[in-house]
Amino acid sequence: MSKEEKRVGVFICHCGKNIAGGVDINALLEHAKKLTDVVFAAENRFTCSEEGQATICDAVKEHNLNRIVVVACDPTLHSATFQRCGEKAGVDPAFTELIDIRKWTMPGSPQKVDQEQALENSKRLMEQTVKRIRLKRAIPQVEVIVEPSVLVIGGGIAGVEASLDLADKGYKVFLVERLPTIGGKMALLYKVFPTNDCAPCILAPKTAYANMHPNITLLTNSEVVDVQGHVGNFQVKVLKHPRYVDEKKCTGDGICVEKCPAKAPSEYSAGMGKRKAIYIPFPQAIPRKAAIDADHCLYFQKGICRVCEKVCPTGAVNFEQKPETMELKVGSIIAATGFEEYDPSKKKEYGYGLYPNVITQFQLARLLDIDGPTKGKLLRPSDGKEPKNIMMIQCVGSRDEKANVYCSSVCCMYALKHAQIIKEMVLHDAEIYICYIDMRTPGKGFEEYYKQTRDLGVTFIRGKPNEIMEDPKTKNLIVVVEDTLLGEPVMFEADLVVLSCAIVPSQGMKQLAEMLRIELDENGFFKEAHPKLRPVETNVRGVYICGCAQGPKDIPDAIVQAKAAASCADSELRKGKIMLPEFIVKMGKTS
Amino acid sequence: MREYALFLGCLIPARLPSLEAVSVKVLEKFGIGTRPMIGASCCPDPIVMKSLDYKAWLAIAARNLSIAEEMKLDILTLCSGCFSTLSKANKVLKENAKLKDEIGSFLSEINRGFSGTINVRQVAEVIREIGPEAIKQRLQRTLEQWRVATQHGCHLVRPSDVLHVDDPNRPTILDEIVSWVGAKPIEYPLKMLCCGVGIKAIDPETNLIMLREKLESIREAEANCIVTPCPFCFIQFDMGQREVNRKFKESYAFPVFYITELLGLAVGLSPEEIGLQFHTTPVKEV
Repeated sequence: MSKEEKRVGVFICHCGKNIAGGVDINALLEHAKKLTDVVFAAENRFTCSEEGQATICDAVKEHNLNRIVVVACDPTLHSATFQRCGEKAGVDPAFTELIDIRKWTMPGSPQKVDQEQALENSKRLMEQTVKRIRLKRAIPQVEVIVEPSVLVIGGGIAGVEASLDLADKGYKVFLVERLPTIGGKMALLYKVFPTNDCAPCILAPKTAYANMHPNITLLTNSEVVDVQGHVGNFQVKVLKHPRYVDEKKCTGDGICVEKCPAKAPSEYSAGMGKRKAIYIPFPQAIPRKAAIDADHCLYFQKGICRVCEKVCPTGAVNFEQKPETMELKVGSIIAATGFEEYDPSKKKEYGYGLYPNVITQFQLARLLDIDGPTKGKLLRPSDGKEPKNIMMIQCVGSRDEKANVYCSSVCCMYALKHAQIIKEMVLHDAEIYICYIDMRTPGKGFEEYYKQTRDLGVTFIRGKPNEIMEDPKTKNLIVVVEDTLLGEPVMFEADLVVLSCAIVPSQGMKQLAEMLRIELDENGFFKEAHPKLRPVETNVRGVYICGCAQGPKDIPDAIVQAKAAASCADSELRKGKIMLPEFIVKMGKTS
Repeated sequence: MREYALFLGCLIPARLPSLEAVSVKVLEKFGIGTRPMIGASCCPDPIVMKSLDYKAWLAIAARNLSIAEEMKLDILTLCSGCFSTLSKANKVLKENAKLKDEIGSFLSEINRGFSGTINVRQVAEVIREIGPEAIKQRLQRTLEQWRVATQHGCHLVRPSDVLHVDDPNRPTILDEIVSWVGAKPIEYPLKMLCCGVGIKAIDPETNLIMLREKLESIREAEANCIVTPCPFCFIQFDMGQREVNRKFKESYAFPVFYITELLGLAVGLSPEEIGLQFHTTPVKEV
């Protein structure tokens, strides 16, 4: 191979005016012709077009080229296009390279530089690439048998949906969930927009099916702690934390829960209610198995009690359970680790955590839920009275340069949903005010939902409150906001203030990204391979992402992504074998 | 001994010289030395001058900064307005090379130059740095009966991209210091309201309405005195109470303390040394 004569062809793309408008193409072309081993150089208006690709094929044949350098746009976008084109003409894909100079020339590109600098940068990058491609050897490809199984990390609606799709297609699926139950945040929403369906009711058929599906292994109370290998052949270590209840023996009858004397704050009530130390998280929990919270259990804390063990008719309680590490072999991985609600106590002006009657929308959802801590009665935390004036504040922690710049995309809709529920079902006479920056309702049926809410008499105030004060006697809240439509500052006295908090990446995503070797975006969400064209793939082949772990989104979008991720995994695995560069396979074996 | 270039501004030398005296005395007790900035001018003020002529504002601030640069000392300001101006100008000139050159050309005419080698501190920040332990060790007087309404004021924490003293929307630095000297900081709903003095020149009526609201909130919370690190807030509360009383037929008489006066009392300085006799609202037993 090294003895063979190197014949490099350089193809410079105008990309319409995107490149040609920002750099002197002719100067670049002349420069290319001077480089060692470059026997042919050409420019083209759109190299990726059929005509452009034909130019490459013709040149390969005419000038007997065996190396191709395309000077154009982002390699993640078009590398495969030009490799396929070269391969058709007989050039090994390893010897076709695409380099991006468009980032320096295109109007609106964050990396745009002036003409002179763009030419300089492009020349330099071209020189280096030509040099590299001359020195490069072809990478031998080998065939690898793939494991027909998938690891799905995260048991929220996205993870469950992806698992079901793949399991139905015949793959063995391992669904790993950190908590004792699957269903994720959706189980806590009470109702979902724009249909006002009961969230657990439309969630349960999916979680229940996942639980009984012969191809799905549920691993609750578990975390991924190590990932090795490559697409087709990942080796994964999963740590299963003890739940101190034998899942096989537990029937979910709840006798232990009834008798347990120890109480702890309930996650299902967003911290506003109590549960027992041995608990089944919520009525529709899947799997419906009890778990012991060792931090609040009298036996683990003080060495007494063990009542649950005595009352369990099937002898399922086992205080001796130890953490267990499992090793799994899977062909691909889907990360669906979801989101968390922004901690609003960071926005000190709103007094969350300081004033009892300032709550979050997630807490409001729990208060409205008939299975929640107040059995569906809307009672404010300070005195248990029904609020008459409720103020909702949008964009808490999003669209805020001091917190997160991005829009969390669902907050407008969930605020409308809660306003509708309160007005129609809970407190008809309550006055509801929603303080917003912009109402953003771009979804199917969403604008109609917004109108319905307005028709119910909810008041919308365009302005973001800058301060909340508490009346120390009544515990009412005085909200100061500039109404930007009136152009005047206004003050409201509210009995209850509800903060519509941003969606932020969940804890542990950074560690997981390191394990999976995938990237995070500037906000800490998993980064997709291409923001428009490859939204569920990552920079690691065989690792896919979906749901809110990729960015804030509503349930239908999460479902769409879950199905897309499942489909990507299927495409990769369905032939049973794949071609991989030899060194990757070797590295996988030695590690 | 830590040393600072002491920037006085205008209000303290012109109307409240006792605040300078007590601050120097108290800081000395904690091993913090101050040296006067010979030739320093008005900061200039962070609102009016800045809005009228931004570059002149920058140039005057840069000139003041350059004096401390020559002294090779960080600046300590007793006034939050000066703190805000000098910090902002310092940051702008450190970060914006173009403006730095332009302002530099003005300064070169008077044989000065801005090099960006020092930082600007406010007295409350410096007191916090002393820390609770060191303060508690020197306590001579118990202030248990003090129920203190703290007034942080606007310019101690804003602009928040420049000043990182505390949270701009709910600062607690004063409450911390107040509790270190054994007094009790009181929460009151209008804690974050501006004292009103900023608009006194153009709208004296609103100025007093704001002050009255603030005082009412303090009275309802059953505080018995007011503490502030800003001489403008100080003068507003100290002298403004009399005006509010006259205009609205009220009888407010909260003793007002500048932050170093409070510290001075706690470490055993006499009322005369502190200069309480110069207050407009008389200070009786709290």
